[in-house]
Amino acid sequence: MALLKREIAMLRDVLQSCSSAAVRTAIALRNLCKPPDSFMIAFYRIGFFALLMALWQVAATRMGSNVLPSPLATWQAAQTLVGEGQLIVAIGDSLTVYLSGFAIAIIVGVPLGVVMGGFRVLGKTLEVYVFALAATPRVAFIPLIIVLLGLGVEAKTFIVFLGALMPILINAYAGVLAADEELLEMARSVGTPRGRIFTNIVLPGAVPFIIVGLRIGATIGLINTVVAELYTAVRGLGGLLAIYGNTFRMAEYFVVVLTLAAVGVIVTESLRYIEARVSRWRDV
Amino acid sequence: MMSAGDPAERSGDAEVRVVLDRVCKSFAPAGGGDRVSALQDASLTVGSGKFLALLGPSGCGKTTLLRLVDGLIQPDSGTVHVFGAPPRPGPDIGFVFQSFRLIPWAKVSRNVDFSLRDLGLTAAEREERTRRVIKMVGLTRFANAYPAALSGGMKQRVALARALAPEPKVLLMDEPFASIDAQTRELMQIELMRIWTRRRPAVLFVTHSVDEAIMLADEIALMGPSPGKVIETVPVDLERPRWTYDTHAEPRYVELRKHLSSRMRQFVLSDPASEFFGRDLGSPDAMGT
Repeated sequence: MALLKREIAMLRDVLQSCSSAAVRTAIALRNLCKPPDSFMIAFYRIGFFALLMALWQVAATRMGSNVLPSPLATWQAAQTLVGEGQLIVAIGDSLTVYLSGFAIAIIVGVPLGVVMGGFRVLGKTLEVYVFALAATPRVAFIPLIIVLLGLGVEAKTFIVFLGALMPILINAYAGVLAADEELLEMARSVGTPRGRIFTNIVLPGAVPFIIVGLRIGATIGLINTVVAELYTAVRGLGGLLAIYGNTFRMAEYFVVVLTLAAVGVIVTESLRYIEARVSRWRDV
Repeated sequence: MMSAGDPAERSGDAEVRVVLDRVCKSFAPAGGGDRVSALQDASLTVGSGKFLALLGPSGCGKTTLLRLVDGLIQPDSGTVHVFGAPPRPGPDIGFVFQSFRLIPWAKVSRNVDFSLRDLGLTAAEREERTRRVIKMVGLTRFANAYPAALSGGMKQRVALARALAPEPKVLLMDEPFASIDAQTRELMQIELMRIWTRRRPAVLFVTHSVDEAIMLADEIALMGPSPGKVIETVPVDLERPRWTYDTHAEPRYVELRKHLSSRMRQFVLSDPASEFFGRDLGSPDAMGT
């Protein structure tokens, strides 16, 4: 009997220590999940960067510089490319194509999507064609575009435009359709005229959707920039990629890849910043 | 403007604000099938400056009735008249919704101002009026806050301010305090009474709470379900202001409450659409109260 009692007491102690350990772990976990300050995030990011560099170095020494150049070799290649001017020229060429194609896609896509959402008959009529076009791989159009527009900047810009247009258009359309029915009825009840309901309730409500569309469009636009430069006249960053890739100059090749990644990060981060600015009302 | 057959004229009261005469309204269900009748032969009058509570279980067409009175939807048959003419949504009729319906990206002051945009007021007049109603509902400190930062009770006060800002002569309220906690609700009721005593719009107040109806109204229109109609109207002859004494202890209050509660219970038990249909759950009398 006494033995049993002692066993029960022991069991209780074990359970208690287990549960207090669980509580401590839970608190630690919660502290981990707390929104961290931006200083710590920057610190972690630099730490992760160092880790990546170390892994890269290890991989480079294992595989040999013909396949994978070391970080140092890449850095030296970057200095040469910048010094000789090719990289700057290529960035200029690519950004011209990319940004103008993206800008035209915004100028066409947002208003068209908004109008399709505003006039239901028009939207219902056109949406099948929009979805069909969105589902077709845009690469399929490149031969046609080359025939029509040649190999120059116009053709490249058009390929970027075509890639960025669909997500921008479809998201603007969806944003207008997703207007809050309850807010619409409230506005009607107050006696707001239709035009003002559209500009004051429907459009601001669509803004988050539109920005998501811009972000997806920006990513696809960048992909299409490289694709266009590979398929048409070989120029820009895509052109350098082809040249260095085909001649196995891997250090230079890596510089171009990293430049493309940097452009992508800068563009999407700017859009994220804009998104945060226009949706400030969300944070309490 | 009034024709000879006008129900308002028939009732002999030129000050009648809202008249519904044998109104029917049905809806086509979203999934197809037979039309569902929401209101059948509903008749009702609200006098100038009167506070009328529409009391009934859920699904008896109370909200449909309010939307008809605001002119947001049209009746299938029968007439709805507000100020002697079919209603049009606008500044003369204020609407307070159960779900607040504040514009989330606009600050409190802009939300209130939203109902003043089409009154032909100058910017300065609008600003002054916005400031005044926000003060009236006690939210001056929060005029520059976004709705996301407010509690449920505060949000509903903003919605009330928005409805009152154009100084409507008719105020429609659709279970405005249903999603607010009990303590805040009681204070909001008193607040509403205070404001109403000062402004005196005709109020149509939808509720499914017997206590709320008795506490607030001059008259209670009891609505029954399937299809919705007004079954009877009961005057509430309790002295105002009612927040100054314990109304719940008045014999008249107890009597009214007992009557209305048992009618409400009957409606729910006899409604084929309710899960309690046909069950013998007894009445409060049978339970010895």
